[in-house]
Amino acid sequence: MQNPHVIFGVLIALGAVWTLGWAIIMVRSGRSIPVEQLERSENRIRVGLLGGLAAIAIVVFVLSLPRLPFAGSRRAELGPPQVTITATAVQWGWIISRDRLTAGIPIEFDVTSRDVNHDFAIYDPDGRLLTQVQAMPGYINRLVYRFSAPGTYTVRCLEYCGVGHHMMTARLTVARQE
Amino acid sequence: MTSPHRRAPLADAAALTPLLAPDRANSSVLRVALVYLVVGLGSFLLMGLLGLLMRLDQGGILVIAPVWFYRVMTLHGAGMVASILLAVTGGLAAAVSATTRLSARVLWIALVIYFIGTSFVILATLVGGFGGGWTVLYPLPTHGLVWTLDAALAMYAGYLFIALGLLLYCVHMLHALARAHGGFVRLFALRFLFSLGRDTRDPLPRPPELIAGVISLDGIAAATAGMLYLVPIFLHAAGVMSVDALYAKNTVLLFGHTMANLSIYVGAGLVYAALPAFTGRPWRTTWAVVCAWDLIIILMLTNYSHHLYADFAQPVGLQLLAEIASYAVALPSFIVTIIGALTLIYRSGIRWTAAPMLLALGIWGWVFGGLGAVLDATIPVNQVLHNTMWVPAHFHTYYLLGAVAFAWGYLFYMVHELTDRRAARASSIAVWLYGIGGAGFILMFFVAGANSVPRRYAVHLAQWQLYARVAVPFVIVLALGLAWLSWDLATRFRAAWRGTEGPTLQP
Repeated sequence: MQNPHVIFGVLIALGAVWTLGWAIIMVRSGRSIPVEQLERSENRIRVGLLGGLAAIAIVVFVLSLPRLPFAGSRRAELGPPQVTITATAVQWGWIISRDRLTAGIPIEFDVTSRDVNHDFAIYDPDGRLLTQVQAMPGYINRLVYRFSAPGTYTVRCLEYCGVGHHMMTARLTVARQE
Repeated sequence: MTSPHRRAPLADAAALTPLLAPDRANSSVLRVALVYLVVGLGSFLLMGLLGLLMRLDQGGILVIAPVWFYRVMTLHGAGMVASILLAVTGGLAAAVSATTRLSARVLWIALVIYFIGTSFVILATLVGGFGGGWTVLYPLPTHGLVWTLDAALAMYAGYLFIALGLLLYCVHMLHALARAHGGFVRLFALRFLFSLGRDTRDPLPRPPELIAGVISLDGIAAATAGMLYLVPIFLHAAGVMSVDALYAKNTVLLFGHTMANLSIYVGAGLVYAALPAFTGRPWRTTWAVVCAWDLIIILMLTNYSHHLYADFAQPVGLQLLAEIASYAVALPSFIVTIIGALTLIYRSGIRWTAAPMLLALGIWGWVFGGLGAVLDATIPVNQVLHNTMWVPAHFHTYYLLGAVAFAWGYLFYMVHELTDRRAARASSIAVWLYGIGGAGFILMFFVAGANSVPRRYAVHLAQWQLYARVAVPFVIVLALGLAWLSWDLATRFRAAWRGTEGPTLQP
């Protein structure tokens, strides 16, 4: 559910099904028949789709519940955080209380901002976005995360915050657990 | 030359409403509507050129200083939302004007107010140097460091006027529709709805009228949210009060997200109005249509907060509600509008000219963009897609290949109806160019999003530049298609303008 390439694959698969259905209708738009002949099928399709899509939506919603990124859900999933780190955003940089971390243990990032809205996003060494939380003035947002592997991770700002937005990065060095 | 809807096998000719009222009473409204559409789509083309500049920069092909990139980005975003909304609302005014008496004067006044607003936006960005993003997310506009407070206030003033223009349009539309139908209960077919279609004593509104009522209600709500956002910020600038960041986010997104959503739903209203003319099949006000659109009144106002999933300060209950609402709003749109449109087309004997092709393209793009949106509205998925290129991917899809295609299609339909001259056969090629160029362009946004490329970055890392570089040729194909359509339109527009007075009587 959280691999962007898999999500892209799902989009393309669903998009292909939709495009195929749409194209069939377009190709079969000639040779007219009275619309009354279609009404019963149309209603059947509608009821079927409503049931099917609503069922899928409910299943996806239920599946998403144990994977919520909010602090309470992550604590329940990963266990209580063993380290708490503060991350304060300021145009255009990060003040992070500690940048050397350990893999395999739950870490809580207490994220806030001194000026405008920012977004504390952690990228893995391969450049893949792992998790994120907004840094908001007047609020402390708690992000609980467990690094699965050692390496150098990059923090990027993902909420537009002015002309230095694209330069607002920091490094986190994650070491293997002793 | 006869029009396609006269040639097509009419199932119920009486149910197809002509564009021009029998007594020509709506001539002046049709003229304002044409102005809305042409100005809106013309501005869309200009804003599109700004978008191309940004992609060239992100591809490393052209270097724009970040301070200018963000100004261009701000103008592009604000200008696109305003332009597209202007175009589709013009179309909707035309669509209901044959049966609902609208005031051309009020529509002109709304347009002038709208222009004042957009002038402020242009001044704020290009002269004042404002680059706080079209979302003007507090407190960045007043804390940009490289632009002045005056520039920020000019931007906010622009939004205030745009919101007022929208408010005037919506209040007038709602009032006119309620008067024509004898009240809101009849306009929204509430007795028919709650009796599950059994109570048919009230005459039912035609789908475009129902949709115009729905979007007017939500437009008023959006404009009100805009005021709830802007007034405290003006008071803050005057030193009277401070503004809570979470409150500001909720109100600005309720305003901006609903404004953006309105465009696509108004665009859908144009499909209800124009598609029957090409398929020869009326789009009836069934119980499903009433139920879907009455539900959208609520659902369109509740799904904005899926943009706040990363704001952990937002109560979890509201986050879950946003996910449910985001799924829920997709259901009536797909099951009723999309399936309804496809049923109208299937084996209808439709003659594929540029106008119905554009409407069909919009149907495809709306659903494809919706798929991207629904995936992103799933909270765990949003964790790895939020504020990556996936976000512009989905909204560019249902803007460019949805609402904008509907607006072009409706304008071509209007010109055809008013002149009785079909688009040039070769214009069908232009629609193909539009579709292929647009699809390639948005696909590269999705690919970039899937590779975690952040949105709104003036400078892209070398490994991210490929996505923008591949997108550029598609943008050029898209631009060719749009230029072709514009040319076709330009050759027939004068005749369409004269056609608003009705057919010339032959001696």
